[in-house]
Amino acid sequence: MCISIGVFNMTDFMSRLLRQPHGVVGLILLVVLAIEVILGPALAPYDPETFHYSSRLVGPTPEFLLGTDQFGRDILSRLLWGARTTVLLSLFATLIGAGIGGAIGILSGYLGGRIDEVIMRLVDALMAIPSLLFALLIITVLGPSGTNAVVAIGIAFSPGMARIARSVTLSVRTSDYVAAAVARGESPLWIMSREIAPNMLAPVIIEATIRVAFAIMLLATLSFLGLGSQPPAPEWGLMISEARAFMFRNAWTIVWPGLSIAMVAITFNLLGDALRDALNPKND
Amino acid sequence: MGTQTTLTLKNYGVSYGTDKGPLKVLDAINLHIGKGEVLGLVGESGSGKSTLALAIMRALRGRVAHETGQILLGDVALHSLQGPALNRIRGKRIAMVFQDPGGSLNPTLTLGEHFRQTLARHRQLNPSEIRQETDRLLKMVDLPDTQTMALKYPHEVSGGEKQRAVIALAFACDPELILFDEPTSALDATTAVTILDLFRDLQKRTGVSALFISHDLGVVREIAHRVAVIYAGRIAEVAENRQLFAQPRHPYTRSLLASLPKAATDGEQTPLISIPGSLPDRTVAIPGCNFAERCQFATDPCRRGPIELAQDFGHAVACPYWQTVLYQAIGSDENSQMGVRLEISEPPLLSLNNLSVHISRPDLFARLMGRQPKVIHAVNDVDLDLHGGETLGLVGESGCGKSSLAKALVGLRPFLGHLELDGQPIPSVAQMDSSYRQKVQIIFQNPDLSLNPRQSIGTILSRPLKLYPGQDTGAMDDKINRLLQRVNLPPEFATRYPHELSGGEKQRVAIARALAAKPDLIICDEITSGLDASVQASIVNLLRDVQRATGVAYLFITHDLNLLRHIADRVAVMYLGEIVEIRPAHKIGLPPYQPYTEALLSSAPVLDPGLEPRRIRLQGAPASRLGAAKGCPFESRCPRRIDDICLSERPPRIHFDRGHWIQCHLDQRSLRSVPPIWTATPTSLNND
Repeated sequence: MCISIGVFNMTDFMSRLLRQPHGVVGLILLVVLAIEVILGPALAPYDPETFHYSSRLVGPTPEFLLGTDQFGRDILSRLLWGARTTVLLSLFATLIGAGIGGAIGILSGYLGGRIDEVIMRLVDALMAIPSLLFALLIITVLGPSGTNAVVAIGIAFSPGMARIARSVTLSVRTSDYVAAAVARGESPLWIMSREIAPNMLAPVIIEATIRVAFAIMLLATLSFLGLGSQPPAPEWGLMISEARAFMFRNAWTIVWPGLSIAMVAITFNLLGDALRDALNPKND
Repeated sequence: MGTQTTLTLKNYGVSYGTDKGPLKVLDAINLHIGKGEVLGLVGESGSGKSTLALAIMRALRGRVAHETGQILLGDVALHSLQGPALNRIRGKRIAMVFQDPGGSLNPTLTLGEHFRQTLARHRQLNPSEIRQETDRLLKMVDLPDTQTMALKYPHEVSGGEKQRAVIALAFACDPELILFDEPTSALDATTAVTILDLFRDLQKRTGVSALFISHDLGVVREIAHRVAVIYAGRIAEVAENRQLFAQPRHPYTRSLLASLPKAATDGEQTPLISIPGSLPDRTVAIPGCNFAERCQFATDPCRRGPIELAQDFGHAVACPYWQTVLYQAIGSDENSQMGVRLEISEPPLLSLNNLSVHISRPDLFARLMGRQPKVIHAVNDVDLDLHGGETLGLVGESGCGKSSLAKALVGLRPFLGHLELDGQPIPSVAQMDSSYRQKVQIIFQNPDLSLNPRQSIGTILSRPLKLYPGQDTGAMDDKINRLLQRVNLPPEFATRYPHELSGGEKQRVAIARALAAKPDLIICDEITSGLDASVQASIVNLLRDVQRATGVAYLFITHDLNLLRHIADRVAVMYLGEIVEIRPAHKIGLPPYQPYTEALLSSAPVLDPGLEPRRIRLQGAPASRLGAAKGCPFESRCPRRIDDICLSERPPRIHFDRGHWIQCHLDQRSLRSVPPIWTATPTSLNND
């Protein structure tokens, strides 16, 4: 499906985003995060899986800036390496959710009538299951692994996305430009992908940015439960899970990954809020 | 009109902060409203007229950058009031009536509760006094059955009744000044005239002063004592009502009047005159006349300025040269000549026979309960022939089914009955193949909604070109350029997006898109209703040019009968889903009329001071459309209802001259015997 957000004037859009304080903070945090993701491994002082037996569970020292875990692995290095898996996987999970959900939503909203009714009742049924349980259910079928966790979270997100996409589609569908396309005999595929999709993208993007934070937490939870990334991967949720038994001997093993997750969640939440305001043309 | 003034604006100006710097919305406004006087304020969209009302109310929205000058209510300086002092004046000494009565009433409160709050707040009445007062106010605005009316919620009454209630609310505290912001623009013409009658009457009785804002010169002519014309934030002309319409002086006023469709008893079609260009950029200072760029008489001194509003025996004009150009006719070079009409082909292009459109919402719950779903009979048994190259005007009020008919004709609504295009029967929407869709195109009312905001103009125009390639070959860009040229838009528009264009330009793009398919018929669904008069004129002229060049037929749907005189060959009048009359357009002012047509003509605004319309007022609201009417659809409101035959029997079609028929139970003789709707008064002054 070819989706373009052609109408955005990038500089205009950025200036609107930067006019809001939470947009500015969100963007700064995003840049920090991007550096972590791209340059993380290069910046890491140690290998994330090297054991330093002599200094296990130490607090922040000049040698180990954020301390070490139960095997003497450098927490800073593990966080920097783990940023890639944690952030990218959760982004990917959200994309899957938005893609599947968006497609279902447009289809359901566009076709309407009985098909819409059936799809939406199914979506309702799926939404009654909490995302975590739903993801657990999917992982039980697919088997525990990082990739499967991403797929599971993506699928677990799609009903919510479908609902939002459908409600926006319903209002876009009544627009005269869609009527004009129907009247001139355009194919349903063109109408859905070129007339409707670009116009319902903004709310879906906004919802997606907020969902990224949820995805990170879900991914962390799944890893924590041992159903996501497998040890010794430096995934943040997994780090917390592994360090749980030692939290009373060195609380830093939990605090740092916990803070990192919180930061990502805050980044995308702020960005989502700012996007909602910046993408709303009524705020001109 | 006494010597005291109720409201005075002295050198008032306001700017809004925008990305490009402060935008001067109002500039050096000097106006006064005398005691018991109604001042009409006329301007096109973007002229700043609503901002003026909000400034007086001290409810300026948006980012006000700076404000200058004074607003005085009596001797109270409104511009410096704040907080509680202001709240004591708002609603009590100044009341406001907005355009949309639905929006200004709280949907969760009964009408009576609205009165209770206002009366308790500003007049400190006790409950029994409030009841009496509410009753009196509702009676004052001629609402029936006041006791039950007070218990109703806004959604339970019609638009006209809501606006009456809002007016009663405005009068509740006996204000000195009432601000009207387009109070009749959202109402049907036949309802709007009754509201104007009501206000005129109340104003006489109470002696309240009013500022009456409208884009519609006809409405202002009906109601105002004095009229101020505003253009791009500056007052262009102020004069007594009769004087302004009899002899407008400012070139802008004259152009505006020339661009309006006019009522007339008879005669040839005349072209409407459009004003070239668009509003000036007000983020930069305009030293001279702000209309100079669009004025056909403008000279260098006009652009250098300064231009002052000069008084001349109560007629103020912001144009120092008005006298020298007064006898030069208004007209622009892009005007189309009326010329000879194209030959109308004989076998009809489109033929409708007993065509009906029923709208029902599939309601699962109702079906489970075994109830019949409600069916709205939007269009009932319409017979209509449309010939190649002709323009058929379809006129009717909101909800009469004219848009449903348009949608059915382009396959957006299922229909019943017979539809033929070029002799080919089209039994249902499913049979509308690509050749039908190519031949019949539609243009919608609001170009903001009909052009996809995420597609460039080039993409929008390329779709019909790709779907219906036709014979002509050549690069897509050339074809798009030719289309843009056809609708008088520059080729660089191809890369722009709809939101970068003005309303008129967008509608031109919509026309170009319809033309791209090389259709035989274009259905124009209220395509000029959202546009300013001067832009409407240029769109109508464009349509005529296109018709002359391509021989396309139009089904021109509108609620403005006067406009049809300038574009249509024949007029079909629709009421409650039925066509009640079809007549040649050039004789639109002459009897015989179907009683509904007569009422519609009587409600149309008249600008010519030499014409006086015969007053016909309709009572009540249109009947329900659930289920087909057995008799005449207009029976419930008809001023010339005979007896129960109108209710029980379908009226016959009475044929008059060629192509003119009326559906009515009245006989030929009594239909013919009515006097014409407009009579010329001897004081007729011709202005251009």
